[in-house]
Amino acid sequence: MAHPSLAHIRDRMPSVNTLVVACALLLGRGAWAAEVAFVTTQSDDSVSVVALGEDRLAATLKLGGKPAGVAASPDGRHVYITSPEGGYVSVLGTRPPALLRRIALKGGPLGIAAHPDGGRLYVADWYGSRVFVVDAASGDILDELPTGLSPSGVAVSPDGTLLATADRDSDQVSLFSTVDHRLIGTVGTGKRPFGLGFTPDGRRLMSADVGSNTVTVIDLASRSVLGSVPVGDRPYALTVTGGRAFVTNQYAGTVSVLDLQSLKVIATIETGEYPEGIAASADGRHVYVANWFDNTLSCIDTASLRVTGRVRTGDGPRAFGAFIADVPEAAAH
Amino acid sequence: MIIRTKHFMLLAACGVVASTAAAHGPARLKVEHSVDIQAPAEKVWARIANFHDMSWHPAIASTQGSGGNVPDATRLLTLKGGDGKATIEEALSKYSAEHMSYMYKIAKVDVAVLPVTNYAATITVTSTGPSSSKVEWRGGFYRGYPNNDPPANLNDDAAIKAVTGIYQSGLDALKAEMEKGGR
Repeated sequence: MAHPSLAHIRDRMPSVNTLVVACALLLGRGAWAAEVAFVTTQSDDSVSVVALGEDRLAATLKLGGKPAGVAASPDGRHVYITSPEGGYVSVLGTRPPALLRRIALKGGPLGIAAHPDGGRLYVADWYGSRVFVVDAASGDILDELPTGLSPSGVAVSPDGTLLATADRDSDQVSLFSTVDHRLIGTVGTGKRPFGLGFTPDGRRLMSADVGSNTVTVIDLASRSVLGSVPVGDRPYALTVTGGRAFVTNQYAGTVSVLDLQSLKVIATIETGEYPEGIAASADGRHVYVANWFDNTLSCIDTASLRVTGRVRTGDGPRAFGAFIADVPEAAAH
Repeated sequence: MIIRTKHFMLLAACGVVASTAAAHGPARLKVEHSVDIQAPAEKVWARIANFHDMSWHPAIASTQGSGGNVPDATRLLTLKGGDGKATIEEALSKYSAEHMSYMYKIAKVDVAVLPVTNYAATITVTSTGPSSSKVEWRGGFYRGYPNNDPPANLNDDAAIKAVTGIYQSGLDALKAEMEKGGR
């Protein structure tokens, strides 16, 4: 298993100049070559495409409109990226990475999530207190659901029945039925919830509360708050894998690792300056973090809870959403 | 007197608008600026290390603060010009004497004074030799106008220009002071 250059790589960490993802080497190239990160780089109006089985930036696509939010389709064939200033969603093919078309939306489309069946997209309008329901194939707007103020993070439950928005300036999450688009209810969170994540069992929803430096843990059956867990300074987004939540703390430059049983922080990992978007590999062995100021994508090994690799991206990576696509080997263009 | 009261209320209203965490612009902006100084890092750090003394910056008329050099300490910067009304409230986020670095954020500012929102920055001194150092100032922020289609004075370019100006004038003055005389 020992790669001849691994010690050398570790010695040089955390230099970004090495451009090496050590964890990709540890995994071997074959098995996970299909996982590809689509990292929105807002400052240069692009998306950095990083093949997580390789040690380089695979492609850069210019999208315009200050791209921010991202959602990979469940089948890995498409990636949807919001441009809040441009007022559109870019539809990308993943193999090869290419811009296919744009879906125009009013307001400032920011947070985005794809339904697990791949049919629908849910896009929050940061300026409009609403979420758009969009047909992923045709780009048609099927519905507009009113939310609280400044909806940011959007998530769909693993079973596809629930849609959640983090209504940042209303200090709440809104829960909708994906079947009839009915508002099921709202639940108060900490201050300024931004990123959202369901637990894989679909029983809980968690929000990263930018304004109160907490993660709110919501029980969905009772729609009540199970806990408010203090994390680092200015928590932005989170991902849940292996019984733990990984939370980016923008101002602290760290990721807090929260145990879902005890609702306690069990580790704090230094990643880079302004960590933002965060997503886990399908097998849960790695978590990837976009560092906005550093222009890097860090790889955290979820067993050792250490940063094991780093790749340089374009300028200002945000990657807000499910930015890792599990691209099928023989996907059609 | 009535005019003064009205003026004050207007300022206060602006302050409320700027300080509430309302929706911000679509893109966070970054500015990085650094300067090489022919003076030891320890000497340069000693000049800027006190969060409650920003007299090294030529735009600052006075600094009032409390809480020492620990996170959550606050300072009120009063800018030169503006009859003492141009102020910026800031809070310390991180502080490391060992790494000669601190991070702070703006808690409250009128966008007429500085056209930014959600601003945070880090200033760091690093040693580049026995008698030379580098000071780096890095900021992240949104423009002053929270919605799409901003007016020219509150757009992305205006925000970047204003912050760049602060960093450049501050670091230039620090360099000049540190390299003068050699004490």
